Amino acid sequence: MKQAVLSHWDLPWLPLTAMVIFIVCFSAYVYWTFRTDNESFYEDVSQIPLEDPKTVGPLSKGQWQ
Amino acid sequence: MSSTHTSPPTANRRLETFSYDDQIVKSFVIATVLWGAVAILLGVVIAFQLAEWRLNFGVPWLTFGRLRPLHTNAAIFAFCGNAIFAGIYYSHQRLCKARLFSDLLSRIHFWGWQVIIVLAAVTLPFGITTGKEYAELEWPIDLLITTIWVVFAVNFFGTLVRRRERHIYVAIWFYIATIVTVAVLHIVNSMELPVTLLKSYSLYSGVQDALVQWWYGHNAVAFFLTTPFLGLMYYFIPKAANRPVYWYRLSIIHFWSLVFIYIWAGPHHLLYTTLPEWAQTLGMVFSIALWMPSWGGMINGLMTLRGVWDKVRTEPGLRFMATSLTFYGMATFEGPLLSIKSVNAIAHFTDWIPGHVHSGTIGWNYMMIAGVLFYLVPKLWNSELYSKKLANLQFWFATIGLVFYIVSMWVAGITQSLMWRAMDDAGRLIYPNFIETVVKIVPMYWVRAIGGTLVLVSFFLMIYNLYMTAKRGKKRGVEVYESYALDDSSLEPGASSHRKLEGLPMVFSVLSVVAILVGSAIEIVPSLMAKNYIVKMDVVRPYTPLELYGRDIYIREGCYTCHSQTVRPMTHEVLRYGKPSEAAEFVYDHPFQWGSKRTGPDLARAGGKYPHMWHYKHFYDPRAVTAGSIMPRYTWLFDNKIDYSTLSKKLAVMKKLGVPYATEEITNAVAIAQAQAAEISKELVENGVPAKIEQMEVVALISYMQRLGVDYGQLPETPVELPSTEVK
Repeated sequence: MKQAVLSHWDLPWLPLTAMVIFIVCFSAYVYWTFRTDNESFYEDVSQIPLEDPKTVGPLSKGQWQ
Repeated sequence: MSSTHTSPPTANRRLETFSYDDQIVKSFVIATVLWGAVAILLGVVIAFQLAEWRLNFGVPWLTFGRLRPLHTNAAIFAFCGNAIFAGIYYSHQRLCKARLFSDLLSRIHFWGWQVIIVLAAVTLPFGITTGKEYAELEWPIDLLITTIWVVFAVNFFGTLVRRRERHIYVAIWFYIATIVTVAVLHIVNSMELPVTLLKSYSLYSGVQDALVQWWYGHNAVAFFLTTPFLGLMYYFIPKAANRPVYWYRLSIIHFWSLVFIYIWAGPHHLLYTTLPEWAQTLGMVFSIALWMPSWGGMINGLMTLRGVWDKVRTEPGLRFMATSLTFYGMATFEGPLLSIKSVNAIAHFTDWIPGHVHSGTIGWNYMMIAGVLFYLVPKLWNSELYSKKLANLQFWFATIGLVFYIVSMWVAGITQSLMWRAMDDAGRLIYPNFIETVVKIVPMYWVRAIGGTLVLVSFFLMIYNLYMTAKRGKKRGVEVYESYALDDSSLEPGASSHRKLEGLPMVFSVLSVVAILVGSAIEIVPSLMAKNYIVKMDVVRPYTPLELYGRDIYIREGCYTCHSQTVRPMTHEVLRYGKPSEAAEFVYDHPFQWGSKRTGPDLARAGGKYPHMWHYKHFYDPRAVTAGSIMPRYTWLFDNKIDYSTLSKKLAVMKKLGVPYATEEITNAVAIAQAQAAEISKELVENGVPAKIEQMEVVALISYMQRLGVDYGQLPETPVELPSTEVK
């Protein structure tokens, strides 16, 4: 019985499709990420958490938030 | 510090002032520590209950089966959930240089989430549960979760739209993946048809339900306990170390790989079950592939500390974060290892799995939360950390407690597994009585409980330390900041496609959804068409009304937390339990009850194995029939009368779900159930049980137990037809 059920479920195209999709997507974002003209940009944006905006003082009444 | 990456010439740019909403962050921080204490306390209680059954106290709502779902839900959604919201709201505002989209939505989000937690705390101990692990909450609470999650999403994306920073920093990518994926997981897995306000049945059954449930269950770990924490890691570690992330490019590869791969790995929870082989293989392969992004993230986090390792020694927050990443690395090494079929054959259903889970939830999540709280609380309350010594003490309590936990569960798990499969030269089980394998590991349950207690002590130390830190804080006014508004001048002409994408939150979100939906669709869509593949067996019939009622009691009491209902095609399992399970056996199981742990034996073939009287005695006092049993007593089943009022409705709902009940069966459900109860109680009464037992819940549960695996189990074995080329 188990054999019969599994033979109905035999879908080899599924893992193959998965593999192809993954390889295509992975190649694409590796290419984009490691393009040489992006190097300095990524070095810069890695600083974002360390950049605090300028403090201009405590909140006054009616000030925009 | 400043940079020029998104700062074109400032002429003509509008300077804006704004403030952050840190009050909401404070609220979530307080909720985190409160619910964290509750979650860990519950964990310690149930750990001791496994070591000593008397600690169930004979009270229904204090039994392991009911408290365990509460513990897992509290740890994941209350403790980690509140921590995620605190960390996201703090970092998201700063990374966007904008106040949260709406103060009102923030408050609705906070109070709505706390109401959900309270409702979980009220319903689960009373046995109001769907019986699906990590998704036990009933349908009205599911709807509330969906609503509050949408509120969170609107607040989050609204803030993103109002941001003053062109580039969306990588931490936010992880937050986006979390928000969209959790929404998809929750909605798909929670599809259920209500019977009453507090009772529903899963839309899916058997194999379908198993696949959907573990697609959800695995990805709840992925997208509730991993991606948001990775986002927090990418913000708080650079912040606490005052250094940029080690390799930003790696973080991009990390993100897309993790999001894409994680979603496929769910079936590794169902290896050797009746799930299709291709799905099992797919789950295993993608689980192994997860090593790559997981370790990429861990390395990126740890290497961010290059040059400041001395701070790990002196700064408690950084120490917790670094340790958290180490445990993340360990857990994400162990996870794929456990997904390899040959390893899984040994580890699945054993205590190794809770050991693995807790190396993640305590080692990775708790430690990261502690690190984030040690960063946040002094900043939010304008104070200095009260005591580094206490923090160090907390660190050692937590670490040693966790090591106790993990090692004891490794030992228990491997011992169990080796004993289950031990066979002599004649091919007989050496330990045919399951209880022998339980008694052997009880000492390890004590070690685990002690380890958990140490973790609880560490948590209380943290609460005290944070409370004193906050108490010593000095009041200050709301800070106002200024930054340039985001306008077209910050766009980069000629930037690469991915660079542009990184500035487009909505397109980015859609692509994240596509990434997770590809894997989900390929896994789940064929399963949703399972009816076309699974050949129904005439011998497998729907549960009788009384059996269905008994099944609901089984779910209510959380029996699935200790017993599985699926026999794997392994020699030792067939010898111990009977024929391997078949997909067609479960077509009427809404929800499936395969379980994930065998603290007690598998019950898939329990029907007819013992007389009714054995079950009667067993539920009243398991030690009366199984010396050394650690199962609690279920004495209230002998006092609670069967409530027939909704029985017909239950059958009607089941019929809507595709279970072939005849109209007469639905109409006469009560009479049919009463007749079966009378039949069972007749045998009990002959053995000296009072006649009133016929009306009690225990009879319904016995009827269900006696039905398990009977239909298919009674079929004679059929020889396997080999292909002609192999027949010599």
